[in-house]
Amino acid sequence: MNPVLYWIDRLSALASGPAVWGVFLAGAVIYLIAEWRIRLLAFLAQYFFIGILFTRLFSERPEMALLKTLVGWLVCGALYLSARIRQDAQERQAVFHWAADLPFRAVALAMMTVVAYLAAQRYALPFVTGELALTTFLLVSLSLLFIGTEQDVVIVGIGVLNLLTALDIFYSVQDPGLLVAGLLIVVSLLASLAISYLTVVEVAE
Amino acid sequence: MILPGPLVIVAVPLAMAVVLQLLRYWTALMAWLGAATLVLIGSLVLLAPLDDAWQVANLTVEFGRPLVILGRRLVLQPFDQLVIAFLFFTTGGLFLVAWRLLPHSNFFPVGLMIVALLAAALLVEQVVYAALLVEMAAILTVFPLHEPSSGAAKREEITSAVGGMRYMVYTTLALPGLMITQLFLDLFAIFPNDQTLLNTAAVLLSISFAILFGAIPFQNWLSRVALDGSPPVVTFIFTVNLGAVWFMLLDYLRTYPWLAEQVPLARLFLWLGLLMMVIGGLLAAAQRQLGRLVGYATLVDNGAMLLALSTQQVEGVALATLLLIARPLSLALMTLGLQGLRRLDGGADTYLTLKGAAWRAPWRTFAFLVGGISLAGFPISLSFVARWGLYQLLAQEEFTWALLSLSGSVGVMWGLVRSLRVLLKRPPPVERPVGARLEEDRIVLVLMLLLILVILLLGFFPQSVSRMVYQMASWYTIF
Repeated sequence: MNPVLYWIDRLSALASGPAVWGVFLAGAVIYLIAEWRIRLLAFLAQYFFIGILFTRLFSERPEMALLKTLVGWLVCGALYLSARIRQDAQERQAVFHWAADLPFRAVALAMMTVVAYLAAQRYALPFVTGELALTTFLLVSLSLLFIGTEQDVVIVGIGVLNLLTALDIFYSVQDPGLLVAGLLIVVSLLASLAISYLTVVEVAE
Repeated sequence: MILPGPLVIVAVPLAMAVVLQLLRYWTALMAWLGAATLVLIGSLVLLAPLDDAWQVANLTVEFGRPLVILGRRLVLQPFDQLVIAFLFFTTGGLFLVAWRLLPHSNFFPVGLMIVALLAAALLVEQVVYAALLVEMAAILTVFPLHEPSSGAAKREEITSAVGGMRYMVYTTLALPGLMITQLFLDLFAIFPNDQTLLNTAAVLLSISFAILFGAIPFQNWLSRVALDGSPPVVTFIFTVNLGAVWFMLLDYLRTYPWLAEQVPLARLFLWLGLLMMVIGGLLAAAQRQLGRLVGYATLVDNGAMLLALSTQQVEGVALATLLLIARPLSLALMTLGLQGLRRLDGGADTYLTLKGAAWRAPWRTFAFLVGGISLAGFPISLSFVARWGLYQLLAQEEFTWALLSLSGSVGVMWGLVRSLRVLLKRPPPVERPVGARLEEDRIVLVLMLLLILVILLLGFFPQSVSRMVYQMASWYTIF
């Protein structure tokens, strides 16, 4: 094995366990804190952890994991720009504050996390390792929370992107071909553009 | 130089989309150029023989020749010809409708891109790519759906972006099911004794298509898109996008014929269709906003299509396709009316704001009603012919089903009659001064009259369309 690939594989093996919970923590920050800059920073961090997990998937082709991470950060950039435009248009001071219905959110998040954890234990996804299965279930839980309980276009959009990432992880294990991976990247990019567009359009209206 | 047909079908609209993007200042040119391109390619697809070549100067186009991209084949099959022609002709027609309604809109270039993606989805052999391409098309639709208006119309509109967001969310929720279904079905082909794989695939497939069709309880996106979106683009979603989803379902059933044999899909379609028609009818009857009425009328129509498929007969597939072909005419007319009525009061379409609107916009009211009656499946329209055939098919099996499905149409009609009462009501001067009459664009007026004429003509003489549809349905040897 190529020594670079060997070391990447070793490092990602060490980091993948914490990365799973990094994905969850980033999602929790997005869900519990209402300040958009912190939320987008957490989303950026979430893509970093997802990138680490992708190196487990593409151990022979780490450039694919890098590409997925870079695309994720590009998505974050697009969301940042539109959220910034919205902030400027609303002329509101951005200050740190917790989400308004924090106790409800905390309970909902805890319940969904338990469900995701138990689902990962109980339902074995075909050919998917334990860590990746847990990440997939956690991402699906987070996306359902964002989509189901949020009204902000940016956060609902993050839910959509989390769902696409979960699908990407699951499907890449089944079919590591370039075409599906490439098409999923295009779908994520298009979705992020649409989310940014909708965020700005609401301001324009 | 020999070109495979799928390359022409997909690449020409994409190339034209780039040209139209450069011509956005000239709306008429954009609309006509886009429509001409689509009609031209649609006609070629419909008329070109698949086993022969078509020569233009040094180029030879072979429509039956597959296009291979990274080992994946896009191939034009006989049953795809009418489907792709339907998508292209409908989009071309909607471009002409949008010509006067959406000045400088991105609907024209983006619409071409969407229709190219949907055509590719129908041509590609592996259904997993079809699902991804349909998802891309759905995401792209969000852009024209919530495009801020330009010029004079800008001040008149109040919209929110919720409809587009919901549409994107729901189609994304359907995507994993569609992709994983193929995986499980392929695994089942290897391990035919593992019934769990088949059952899981059937459940996932059903949920995914239920989401895409806006079936109960996923109907939320249909009404919200109809409420928030730009009317011509709403028609586009409900006809072209949903039409592609419908043919994708038929493709799944054709690719995996044993799925329909081993899982009681027909029963599922029957109960889902009945539920959609009954609940959709009830919701339509209770609406106090015209946009939502359009959404629920479409839900009832989707239910009728699923019911037709549940009969497991070629006639059922033909009737469902006939309903789909009739839909753009009814919806285009309905949304032309809706767009004018919304312009009367800053984009709102509630009963409260539209009281007496028929006196200020009589033609738009008339268009909305005729389109609505046609979509509800009442005489005289092509939808009526299809619905009547459906009631007969259902009554042969169980008379109650025919009655229940009829109740859906009655619900939509009830909603229309309630709307008409409000639109015709003269408001007392103290409560609300009567506003100015809507200045009618003559071209829009001609378009509305033309659509009414076509609906009536096809209602009186449906034979030519039904023959064509029956021929296409016979290609789908699912049942």
